[in-house]
Amino acid sequence: MIRLEGVTKVYDGGIVAARDVDLDIRKGAFVFLVGPSGSGKSTLIRLCLREERLTKGVIWVAGKDISTLPNWKIPYLRRSVGTVFQDFKLLPSKTVGENVAFALEVIGRPRAVARRQVQQVLELVGLSTKADRYPHQLSGGEQQRVSIARAFVNRPPILLADEPTGNLDPATSVGIMRLLDRINRTGTTVMMATHDHAIVDAMQRRVVQLDRGRVVRDQRESGYEGNLDSTIEGKA
Amino acid sequence: MTRLWYLFGEALTSFRRNVLVVSAAILAVFISLALAFSALVFNELVNLNTIRWQQGNHIIVWLQDDLGPIAHTDLLGQILAYDEVKSADYFNKAQAYQEFQEMFADNPAILDEVDPNVLPASIRIELTDVDLYESVQFRLVGEPVVRKIDVQVEAIERLLSVTRALSAIGIGLVVLLTTSAVVLIANTIRMAIYARREEVGIMKLVGAGNWFIRIPFILEGIIEGLIGGALAVGAVLFGHYILSGTSTDFFIRLQVSGDFLLRWSVAIFLFGGFAGFIGSSLGLRRFLKV
Ligand SMILES: Nc1ncnc2c1ncn2[C@@H]1O[C@H](COP(=O)(O)OP(=O)(O)OP(=O)(O)O)[C@@H](O)[C@H]1O
Ligand SMILES: [Mg+2]
Repeated sequence: MIRLEGVTKVYDGGIVAARDVDLDIRKGAFVFLVGPSGSGKSTLIRLCLREERLTKGVIWVAGKDISTLPNWKIPYLRRSVGTVFQDFKLLPSKTVGENVAFALEVIGRPRAVARRQVQQVLELVGLSTKADRYPHQLSGGEQQRVSIARAFVNRPPILLADEPTGNLDPATSVGIMRLLDRINRTGTTVMMATHDHAIVDAMQRRVVQLDRGRVVRDQRESGYEGNLDSTIEGKA
Repeated sequence: MTRLWYLFGEALTSFRRNVLVVSAAILAVFISLALAFSALVFNELVNLNTIRWQQGNHIIVWLQDDLGPIAHTDLLGQILAYDEVKSADYFNKAQAYQEFQEMFADNPAILDEVDPNVLPASIRIELTDVDLYESVQFRLVGEPVVRKIDVQVEAIERLLSVTRALSAIGIGLVVLLTTSAVVLIANTIRMAIYARREEVGIMKLVGAGNWFIRIPFILEGIIEGLIGGALAVGAVLFGHYILSGTSTDFFIRLQVSGDFLLRWSVAIFLFGGFAGFIGSSLGLRRFLKV
């Protein structure tokens, strides 16, 4: 689903945010990106969305080599990748339902289809009764559910999440993780950057640890700090 | 269909958001195009009024009707003998009326009002050198058969040189103002993008097509340009209507043909839209990179 080969990213100021990163993420996988602040987690996510161009290497997303993707095809890449961020990115002037529907409207889905899909996804995230509320009338956890609903309403094969629980308390975070887990169980590939030890430890999924742009650990079914008994993901 | 409405709706919303800047841009389009259009009309008026002179009628001698054609022919012979005169033509009353009909072909109201008999016969003189008009004029004054002498040279030369200077200034101003109008439109588009940057960011994130994001902004620029163009056309047509009513002299026309007005109205209006398109494209250029 996602494959990085020798990926290097040097920002304009000369900062190397990714250094020769190799990563192979299969369809249906759930992967945590961990590492200290500034280690390059967000950079990898932005590279996969072509929000940044990579300096060297190749990135495959959903079967396409996106390092050479022409600009006009980028919208199609993004339609196959749902995104969730720490700051929710909801439009304050639109209701919950409208925020989710927006993602379908702007890619030209017919209204009737959109309405049905929005209804379904709001049920999935447990907000079907709050479709007419505005973001400021919701808790942080609920706002993040809306943003997940928007990312998933189009049923993309891939979901990228950059610290989706970064602004939430532990109890709320658990709810969000349950939701992401459910989405992952539908076959969606999930890659999530996080600092949250408790979550990573509890989930016991594949963990890719970065340090100054390098992959320093890649373990299957691991906690945040790594388990002695888990295997290095070599071939998989 | 819903997409189309969406795009229009977006353009209008961002309109309302920046009433002030948008008004400034529209005003700039209006002023520059109104000026351009007035210059065109003015130029056309000068052309209409100098056409006879350009055909070589430097002096027109209007003749008394009651002294009969023989006196007219005598005078013509006398004039033809002057050294300064290159050629002279006799225009009888019928020819005068015919010319009058041609001049006012598009204005039947005036034609109806004028009795063919009031138009006098005349002699049209072409000079060897236009600067010699004074000596010819001097010799003709006091001839009993002469009713009135119209010297077109002086007035027209002055008019033409003024027109030339005005056109140069006018073209310069129009270029300057149109440029500033385009820049102002680009500016409103930038502000509109800034006001909607959050929305645009999300649109990009969920995979909205590049043109889907751009079209509302382009439309906004085109609409601004068209409104400015329409106002300019309206103002000039109104001004022309007022002006054409003030003409006191049959031989100075302050009215251009309806055909001319229609053609240029459409052109000016569309040019407004084009300026808007250029402005919004400029405004979009830097921002909406993926
Ligand atoms: N647009 C940019 N231009 C220049 N340098 C950048 C840019 N974005 C990030 N960086 C630098 O790249 C490095 C990696 O940043 P990145 O945001 O990927 O880290 P991160 O792992 O997501 O950190 P955090 O956990 O704090 O979110 C940092 O040193 C950062 O300063
Ligand atoms: Mg980050």
